[in-house]
Amino acid sequence: MDVIQVVGAHKSYRRRGKPPERALDGLDLVVGSGGVHGFLGPNGSGKTTTIRMLLGLVRADAGELRLLGRPVPEALPEVIAGVGALVETPLFFPNFSGRLNLRLLADTAGVSRLRVEECLELVGLQGRGDDRFKGYSLGMKQRLGIAAALLKSPRLLILDEPSNGLDPAGIREVRELVQRLGSDGRTTVFLSSHLLAEIQQVCDSVSIMARGRCVATGPVAEVLAGRGSGDVRVRVPQQQRAAQVLTEAGFVVTEQDGALHVHGVDDAGEITRTLVRKRLYLTELTPLAADLESVFLDLTREAS
Amino acid sequence: MTDVATPPVVAAPAGDDVAARGSLLRAEARRFTSRRFIRVLLLLAAAGYVAAIAIASSTAFAKTTPEGLAAAQRSIEQLVAEQDRYREQCLAQPGRPADVSDDQFCGTPARGSDFRAEDFLDKRPFVLSEGLPAGAIAVGVAVAALSFLIGSTYIGAEWTSRSIVALLFWQPRRVRVIGAKLVVLTAAAVLLAVVAQAVWWATARVMAGALGKAGPLPADFYGDLLGQQSRAVLLAVLAALLGFGISNLVHNTAAALGVGFVYFAVVETAIRNLRPAWQEWLLTDNAAALLTDGGYRLYVYGEGFVDERGTYVDSGRELLLSNLHGGLVLGFVTTLVVGVGVLLFARRDLH
Ligand SMILES: Nc1ncnc2c1ncn2[C@@H]1O[C@H](COP(=O)(O)OP(=O)(O)OP(=O)(O)O)[C@@H](O)[C@H]1O
Ligand SMILES: [Mg+2]
Repeated sequence: MDVIQVVGAHKSYRRRGKPPERALDGLDLVVGSGGVHGFLGPNGSGKTTTIRMLLGLVRADAGELRLLGRPVPEALPEVIAGVGALVETPLFFPNFSGRLNLRLLADTAGVSRLRVEECLELVGLQGRGDDRFKGYSLGMKQRLGIAAALLKSPRLLILDEPSNGLDPAGIREVRELVQRLGSDGRTTVFLSSHLLAEIQQVCDSVSIMARGRCVATGPVAEVLAGRGSGDVRVRVPQQQRAAQVLTEAGFVVTEQDGALHVHGVDDAGEITRTLVRKRLYLTELTPLAADLESVFLDLTREAS
Repeated sequence: MTDVATPPVVAAPAGDDVAARGSLLRAEARRFTSRRFIRVLLLLAAAGYVAAIAIASSTAFAKTTPEGLAAAQRSIEQLVAEQDRYREQCLAQPGRPADVSDDQFCGTPARGSDFRAEDFLDKRPFVLSEGLPAGAIAVGVAVAALSFLIGSTYIGAEWTSRSIVALLFWQPRRVRVIGAKLVVLTAAAVLLAVVAQAVWWATARVMAGALGKAGPLPADFYGDLLGQQSRAVLLAVLAALLGFGISNLVHNTAAALGVGFVYFAVVETAIRNLRPAWQEWLLTDNAAALLTDGGYRLYVYGEGFVDERGTYVDSGRELLLSNLHGGLVLGFVTTLVVGVGVLLFARRDLH
């Protein structure tokens, strides 16, 4: 079953004295159950808007949305018990301790006190649970937000840029946690981020947003395949001469970071043969895997 | 978060009845009672009450003793003697018109029996039949002001921290979320007002026993008193809800208090001076109307004019605002403010 389905979602924000801001422009999005699904897009591409809409905070102008197979916002009360979320910054009462903030939420849904302690421990806040929320560091606040999202032991965990404000160690911990959750066979994690490396590291599948639309979706490996692939990095002592030779042989060559990048290569052996014939001996020949960055730039360029 | 013994990421599966087992109301009550600012306000109010009673008991009231009465009698005699002296001086004035009698010119001679000794007591006795209802009004007004503040900060702080939005991830029915808060606030205001009136009742009885007299009481004294105290409880609830409603509209406690201040200090004063006829719709006058036994008498100054015979005619009129009038006006305004806020909360996009 798909945990998230969005068909043709439109949303414009009204602004005083200005034309409305179009945040979503016919978004279609499907997230299958299980694993970690990345939701990647640049700032302002509509990731948070999509999440707010799924959680019933923002009303869609048009389109159909489903969470765990049920239409939202209508059926939200029925599915919300299975959905945990952290949207942008965690929203807690500043004068209450982290523990009390979690307990109040737990009381609302009949979640046990034991689970509150578990979640505090899970995010490494067990020792600071009685400190006031306003005294927490940015990273601790974010962790408490993640703990709150985990309280319900949700089937679908929605995290909107969870590594915001975390230090490298914190980021690694969150990523490990996300991966662990994604591989437990029960939880689906929907992880929004504008960090390519993050998606690359932890996600099984990805949807890429640009200007309020989903421009590509699928397994991370597949979205990468067929996009910007076939580049080879070549290092040769006589770089200028090598570039000339390769160009004459019909390759597309650019110079990058003190090395040659040969584009659209089907057979890397052809590069070696061509250069050796001219007595140019390689010191390095590396096929370059397409990284999400170039895909991402490609796709967003196509969409605009 | 990883090097300690790792607890299971997933606990017992969350059934779809999770929300049913939880209680929004219970959580909300807990949230209310955990609020430090509300606790501090209540403590301050209690301290203020104790201080006010202590000061009033030690400076204003005392049982009437024979010595006290004798002292009062002496004050009266002094006063009479003084007035007699003035009258002598007046009569002795030269050039007094002959056709005016002594009494017409200088007033009748003062007599000791014109004055009541009780009025000249240094400290007056606390008379239950008067002091208890008067105090009930004062306590009612103070509790209403406190309730306004509590209602306002209760929801205002939620908006400032936006924690009310996070609550929607747990209970997406927005009307229920805000409804639970309204229920808890109403219950708290009722409890606060009832406790305050009960405490005052007990205090007044003790004061009457120690510093005055508990009787005689007019017919149906306690019936009237209970009615008045019930209306004070209603006023506290309305004030709490009004504070909540304004705060919920402007999303901020300080702004809500600002709105309250501008209304009470500026708008009401302006209306009293510029549009006296509208006074019957002012919140303060209607609060007085709700509390006062038998309603609140309001004198509306008119334009005043001079008629054809040259006499000044005051076109002012006296209005009686009944308890019902007060309750209805306050109830209508509160319902409107709270209702609009709830409606907006239910429909608006939340960020
Ligand atoms: N409350 C709002 N009022 C007006 N416009 C808004 C509002 N919220 C978002 N927008 C606009 O909608 C568009 C999408 O915003 P959104 O927050 O969904 O982007 P995002 O993908 O989450 O970006 P980021 O990576 O910066 O979090 C942006 O152009 C933004 O300016
Ligand atoms: Mg965002």
